[in-house]
Amino acid sequence: MIMEEIVQHLTPLLDEVTGYIFPNEIELHWGLLVVIYPYLTGLVAGAFILASLVKVFNVKELQPTYRLSLLTALAFIIIAPLPLLAHLGHPEKSFEIFLTPNVNSAMAMFGFVYAWYLMAVLLLELWFDFRKDLILMANESRGIKKWFYKTLSLFSKDISDKAVAFDHKAVRVITIIGIPSAFLLHGYVGFLFGSIKANPWWSSVLIPIVFLFSAIVSGVALVILLYMIITPLRNKIVDMICLDKLASYLFYIMIVDFSLEILDFIHRVYESEESIKILASLVQNRLFSSLVIMQVLIGMIIPLFTIAGVKTFKVPADLRKLLYFISAILVQVGIFSTRWNVVIGGQLFSKSFMGLTTYKMTFFGLEGLLVSIALLIMPFIILWMLIKILKPWRAEDAAVAAHSASQ
Amino acid sequence: MLSIFRNIRGFMMNSWLSKAPEQIKLLVVVVILVISAFLIIRPLLIPDDFGELGHFRTGALNDAVAIEFKYAGRASCVECHDDMTEMLAAGYHKKLSCEVCHGPLAGHIEDSDENEPSFPRERTLCPVCHEYLSSRPTGFPQIVSQSHNSLKSCVTCHEPHDPAPPEVPSECSACHGEISRSKAVSHHMDVECEFCHTTPELHKISPRQYRPDKPQNREFCGQCHTKNASNDTDAPLINLATHETRYDCWQCHYPHLPEAR
Repeated sequence: MIMEEIVQHLTPLLDEVTGYIFPNEIELHWGLLVVIYPYLTGLVAGAFILASLVKVFNVKELQPTYRLSLLTALAFIIIAPLPLLAHLGHPEKSFEIFLTPNVNSAMAMFGFVYAWYLMAVLLLELWFDFRKDLILMANESRGIKKWFYKTLSLFSKDISDKAVAFDHKAVRVITIIGIPSAFLLHGYVGFLFGSIKANPWWSSVLIPIVFLFSAIVSGVALVILLYMIITPLRNKIVDMICLDKLASYLFYIMIVDFSLEILDFIHRVYESEESIKILASLVQNRLFSSLVIMQVLIGMIIPLFTIAGVKTFKVPADLRKLLYFISAILVQVGIFSTRWNVVIGGQLFSKSFMGLTTYKMTFFGLEGLLVSIALLIMPFIILWMLIKILKPWRAEDAAVAAHSASQ
Repeated sequence: MLSIFRNIRGFMMNSWLSKAPEQIKLLVVVVILVISAFLIIRPLLIPDDFGELGHFRTGALNDAVAIEFKYAGRASCVECHDDMTEMLAAGYHKKLSCEVCHGPLAGHIEDSDENEPSFPRERTLCPVCHEYLSSRPTGFPQIVSQSHNSLKSCVTCHEPHDPAPPEVPSECSACHGEISRSKAVSHHMDVECEFCHTTPELHKISPRQYRPDKPQNREFCGQCHTKNASNDTDAPLINLATHETRYDCWQCHYPHLPEAR
């Protein structure tokens, strides 16, 4: 029975195999869930880097997106390890990597990088930033809600100017520590792939850096999208100065990212190691639509030229918003394709360098499309809950209300 | 318990912490609580036998040993099915284990009535090895299953325990699929295999024992490709006396697809 099942399962895949591949390469072991993992972590790191621009580099124009970026990073980092846990199975055992750390395992050490980033950077920065608001909300609430906010503020009470000034200072210090931490987080994800020396598609010292910059690109694009969707929902007007600045940063980082990808490409072609023929065949056949069309053309060149066009010509605000919005969506499609091309692409060719296989995605099941879509939606639900609980625009809304009342 | 809290409070009151902002005091408490909880819980959660032999639980070895056997191995099959295994040992499938086709049989060894082996008749099993693939070695029997008696089960014509073809193959392509497919699209498409390879008849029955020969000298190719060759084809012509005299023809030209470079 087992044999028959295996044969039934493998036969359709065999039709797709070209050239010679080893038997254990017919079916891919890392599927869609492993694609989602670097995609989500990238969004976390990118959103955090954007938030750090406000606090460390004093980019005042981006202030409206500061708290949104931080909460986005938190919402996505909570979900980021779930695809891995779902893929590996036995999520109830995952805490064991903290109990008995294995320093020889890059993957096990990722648990500590993740924990450091979540606990020592994100939660701490959010706590300092929201502390005054939490105390005020606790004071304004009653019953369970009061105790809930009190607990979140760790029973802090001091909202004197001196204490608030200390909060600001602490946020700045944590952000300064946070930038290398965010670089470490996503650079590490790239490192996990880049250090697999048996796989020439992954094994490159540039991979962690390319991952990092593509992460920043995707995070900035996500915050643009969220800012443009949430602001009208709050009955507020999108701040065009902020949006233009966001688009500028997206543009500059995309140029760096694209240059690095081209550098990686040229490096591979110039080195022309023994794998170059199968990699060329991989790009020309199996990955043509997802790499050349989706990643490079739709996800990189079109948004780059669109934003460049907006910056060059005098474009009315409404059209500008539309173009930014479309560009940000295309960038998301492009970065998702990047992750796809790395994770799936790296398994489509044989270690014999003589053949290609194919990836067959399932719809149901733990590794299927349905679970993956659910995992991609969950951060948005968490973000919605965080916004409901923490009310990031509370002070701003109160100021507007007070202003309109005085008129 | 109370004394612990008193000590912590005393420490905080008397040290530099008493002058620190409220936030720092609270965070220090939280960090101390988290670290203490971790230090208390950690030894309770780590199994006693962890790390004795390496970075794993020693008991995991016993767990692995306790895993139920699914495969019995060919030696177990021989005990009852010696006729089949003898036939298998003499044929082309002599290196295959019975369970490759019949599935895991440990249960069958325990109780042969309850656990029947599988007898696959689908046309999907044999092509796992015998479907034509350009990278499979030449001489290995390969078919294109869609055009090879597509309505019949493989075992109708082939006895899997002695899988010699039911009749001696009339075409070289039955086994030399890659070569015949390459040749079919080359300028040598009309050249019969036997023109270059003198093939003993027994090669079709014992292919490794009786091998066809190969052209040994430049003059063989020269029959068609020298300037004074008497043929009516448009074959490219060269002067054997001056054309790359240090090499044999096949060192530069692949005879089954001569236009390949």
